[in-house]
Amino acid sequence: MMDSAQPLDDRLLAERLRSGDREALGLLYDRYASVAMAVAVRVVADRQLAEDLVHDAYVAAWQKIDRFDPSRGSLRSWLLTIVRNRAIDRLRGTRPSMEVGEADEQSLLRTGPNPTWEAAAARRSAVELRQALESLPDEQRQAVELAYFGGRTYREIAQLTGVPQGTANGRLRLALAKLRDSLSMTDAAPLSVQAEPIRAEGMNQ
Amino acid sequence: MTRLRFECRDVDELAGALALGAVDADEARAAREHLETCRQPHAELRSLLGADAVVAAGLEPIEPSAALRDRLMRSVEAAPRSAAAAAEPVPATDPRARGWLDWLSPQVARPLALAAVAAVIAVGAWGVMLSGQLADRDRALRDVAAAISGGQAAFRVEGGGGRGYVVDTPGSGASFVVADLGSLPANRLYELWLIGPDGPVDVGTFRPGADAVAVVPVDRDLSGFTTFAVTVESQRVSAPTSKPVMAGAVGT
Repeated sequence: MMDSAQPLDDRLLAERLRSGDREALGLLYDRYASVAMAVAVRVVADRQLAEDLVHDAYVAAWQKIDRFDPSRGSLRSWLLTIVRNRAIDRLRGTRPSMEVGEADEQSLLRTGPNPTWEAAAARRSAVELRQALESLPDEQRQAVELAYFGGRTYREIAQLTGVPQGTANGRLRLALAKLRDSLSMTDAAPLSVQAEPIRAEGMNQ
Repeated sequence: MTRLRFECRDVDELAGALALGAVDADEARAAREHLETCRQPHAELRSLLGADAVVAAGLEPIEPSAALRDRLMRSVEAAPRSAAAAAEPVPATDPRARGWLDWLSPQVARPLALAAVAAVIAVGAWGVMLSGQLADRDRALRDVAAAISGGQAAFRVEGGGGRGYVVDTPGSGASFVVADLGSLPANRLYELWLIGPDGPVDVGTFRPGADAVAVVPVDRDLSGFTTFAVTVESQRVSAPTSKPVMAGAVGT
């Protein structure tokens, strides 16, 4: 059974942030700053720089909270995406996004990500999730880490690891499928899919 | 250069990379364009999207220094949110949303149009640059560069996202050429709009090339429209979901 308390709290927290409640920003900080720091440090490997990135990400979240759509992911995921994207920008020396709230939103599809990943992340401890990641074959875990924490494409991963592009791509696919399956096996809510087209809503074509 | 297009098989094969954003900009665009119209469920991709939440949550938490929280709170007190930032979210399905009307009112559009004419005359050097560096891109680029450097009518579109021109060349149709485009994450794209009395009409989506330049065919009759605008979207949409990062007037 999915734990509904945390998502509900986050939704209320988002509403308070939206109304300009600075105390809510403090609560958001207390709740996720250590995870945000972990992501930033993992990407840039510099604690001071990571603190600057986390600071800037929280300011951006405060200023762009109107861009947060709870139907497309949790507040935690939205915040961590901002932190991660900014850290990758810094790592790769790319120009920061000109519209923070827009550029940091995370969605390939209007229908949003599979929510059960977030449910698994919320319900399980970091230790359990880390164990799930560590249970992957080394080359698959390395591919995932290069993609997420290094901001690398599968082509770059292939070059960095000395394998064909198809192999690097296959490792990412296999790794996530294994994670999905391992989490599904022990979670009441399966990582199910909907048998419907993922065409964008309201398209005029 | 051939525009990359994806079939269902391509999207399925890249499901893992797409879920982690580990594709290049052209592949992300091709996947997004395919998914916008595809009737297939693409179940594996759907099941993998969001996996990054688990990757991030698996890290050992690291406590920031005690001073960071105070620093953050001082920052937001010193730089409070604007009224616009604190406003209600813009409904994705409402093309007449408040932000758009504010931004694209005639009072704003007319000065932009006047500025566009002046700018076309003043930026011949930019047109020359386009001719020299990008002449082999396609005919649209050459048309735009010639129009700009020759002082012909072109409509400037600019803002924080970049700067560009729309040129309506007889016999070739209109094209939008934009330079200095800000980079985007793999899951975002730019969308060009024409604004008329009935609201915004989608023209097309684009991403910057390696040289931060993009060319967008404008396959529409410009008559009746007053304004061009560019927004950043997660995929091609029928109504803008964010404020423009570039805008300009059609004609004077």
